[in-house]
Amino acid sequence: MKKIIFYFIIASLVFGETKKWDAHSAYLLPQKRWEMGLFQPFRYGYSESIEYSVHPLWFFVMPNFSLKKSQSDIAGFTSASQYKIVYPTPFLNMIAKEGIMGIIAPEFRMPPMLGLSVSWLMSKNMTGVDLTLNGGLDLGVTLGDLDTRSSIDLPLVYHRLGIYYNSWGIHTGLDVQKNMTQKFTVFFDLDLKFLPGLAEAQTDPDASKFMGEYSLEHKLLLIWNKSENFRVLTGYKFVMGKYPYGSDMRMLPYIPMAETWVPIIEFQWAGEKR
Amino acid sequence: MKKLISILGLLLILGCEPFVTEFPDTSTAVLYEATSKSNATYNGDNIKVVTWNIRFGIARFPFFGDSCGDSVILDDATIEKNMAAIADSLNAMDADIVLLQEVDVSSKRTGYMDQVQYLLDNTNLNYGCYASMWKADFIPSDGIGRIDAGNAILSKYELTETERIQLRLRTDQDGLTKYFYLRRNIVKAKIPALAQGEKDLFAVNIHATAFATDDTKQKHIDTYVETLSDIDSSGALFVTGGDLNSVPPGSEYDYCLQDMCPGEKYKDENENEIDYHSIDSLTDGPHKEGAYFNNFVGEREILVPLYDTYDAAIDSASYNLPEHFTHGPSTSYEMNDIKYDRKLDYLFTNGIWENTSSKTHQAAWELSDHLPVSAVLNLGGE
Repeated sequence: MKKIIFYFIIASLVFGETKKWDAHSAYLLPQKRWEMGLFQPFRYGYSESIEYSVHPLWFFVMPNFSLKKSQSDIAGFTSASQYKIVYPTPFLNMIAKEGIMGIIAPEFRMPPMLGLSVSWLMSKNMTGVDLTLNGGLDLGVTLGDLDTRSSIDLPLVYHRLGIYYNSWGIHTGLDVQKNMTQKFTVFFDLDLKFLPGLAEAQTDPDASKFMGEYSLEHKLLLIWNKSENFRVLTGYKFVMGKYPYGSDMRMLPYIPMAETWVPIIEFQWAGEKR
Repeated sequence: MKKLISILGLLLILGCEPFVTEFPDTSTAVLYEATSKSNATYNGDNIKVVTWNIRFGIARFPFFGDSCGDSVILDDATIEKNMAAIADSLNAMDADIVLLQEVDVSSKRTGYMDQVQYLLDNTNLNYGCYASMWKADFIPSDGIGRIDAGNAILSKYELTETERIQLRLRTDQDGLTKYFYLRRNIVKAKIPALAQGEKDLFAVNIHATAFATDDTKQKHIDTYVETLSDIDSSGALFVTGGDLNSVPPGSEYDYCLQDMCPGEKYKDENENEIDYHSIDSLTDGPHKEGAYFNNFVGEREILVPLYDTYDAAIDSASYNLPEHFTHGPSTSYEMNDIKYDRKLDYLFTNGIWENTSSKTHQAAWELSDHLPVSAVLNLGGE
């Protein structure tokens, strides 16, 4: 069971920022509409100006909650703010263990940690292309000693957990989406994450071990919109970044034992609360 | 469109490096050079050779994998201190050729320190070659994470024709464990500066299996013997050695009870717990992996062909003497007041070692769970 949960959590990281029905744009879901995916969080249009989301599979091991609020338009761009909170400690302690699936060395005990993130999103349709720009600040609040050796030096994971070792980070991104036909959409995104603190890294050799500095994530998806309430996505995710061991890049999803990349396959559903 | 396809192709190539690196039967070893070289010109003297399993610089740290420890990642400052002590020891030995086993070059467990480069930069050795035996982006077990560990040959003189020779993988593991497990090897290099007239000189380094309970060790020694025989029959000289994970003929061979950790039991495939084999027991096993040296017929005499054919630094009259023990599990001192209790590390040559020059450096016991062995190859010089 733990393996299944872990697989879904890792897999959802790959798909976690997939733009669905404008999930990562400044547009909110219509009131009472819900959307969810195999690897995506459950989103709900609470009102005309508020949308919330939660990842149900993550929730029991890594409580999380996100809220998106519409804001006044700026220079013709639809704008929204987004607030996220996550408590990763239970999950991280679950994988700090001996034996298989011991991702973190068993001698480390992760302290209570809270991840807070605030983003600003701006969207506009320009000559048939949906464009979204986003940027924001990530804070990692750690209540106790966090050993730098407990970092998970893997693509997608390292820079997300890096805020707890670095206390803060910044992120920015660009999403582009175009409907090719009524049924098919192409989606492209670029996301950049920084863990600032280079000055300390240069003066403190130990600090340089956990200053990942940056990661660049890019995704290209082909979306088949079967109906308003169901769609299928396929494509790839590419990650490059700086890690404690140096620079690295990886196409995802990647199946280690087969030593091959496989395309993303994601199913998404939607509906309305009556 | 062509550009897009080209970019995608590039991403696929760059982004699809193997997660776990597998190796062909033979490949070249990775070459290294000291950042600043010390002056070394061979003047015809005898040459000193050392073999040492340095346990990736963690000294007697209670690592979970090879002792009764339960820890995985040592702090950077301690690793740096241990590596400095290893470098000091090598400098004190003033070897011309050093055969190292268990060297990390980019592993999470040792703070991603490139230990080959560190030793070259902090000793009087100038050149190196490295052959990975365990290379993976991530080992999802016990918090090991990223790993690149292997064997290295360091030398005062330039190395050429380096070769990594793959040893057979274990057959007593399930597919998943085998995929993420070690790929042991022999690393070989020619040292042109040390050629004796028409005779080239090669250095050959091996780290044979420690924990296999099948005939993998026999296969490793067979490949080792073949490699040496090929050099010998080509008319060249060699110095060789390493951690053979085999006890000398006539040695005690059952360390199961000695190495057993407090409360430890053998677990069978159904997770049933069984006591380890006792020397006094009438039952035949089960045995603790790495602590029993009679897993197959002939294992106790596995080194006889080497001793019969080549000159051993520690000869058969001495190899079972306590002053030549080279190994003790890292927690054995704390648990049983034992610093070293068996010989696993060897040096051989198809030339002749200088009489009385061979030494097991037992004073270095705190720097690893293996002790260095050194010997001087008699080349007719001083």
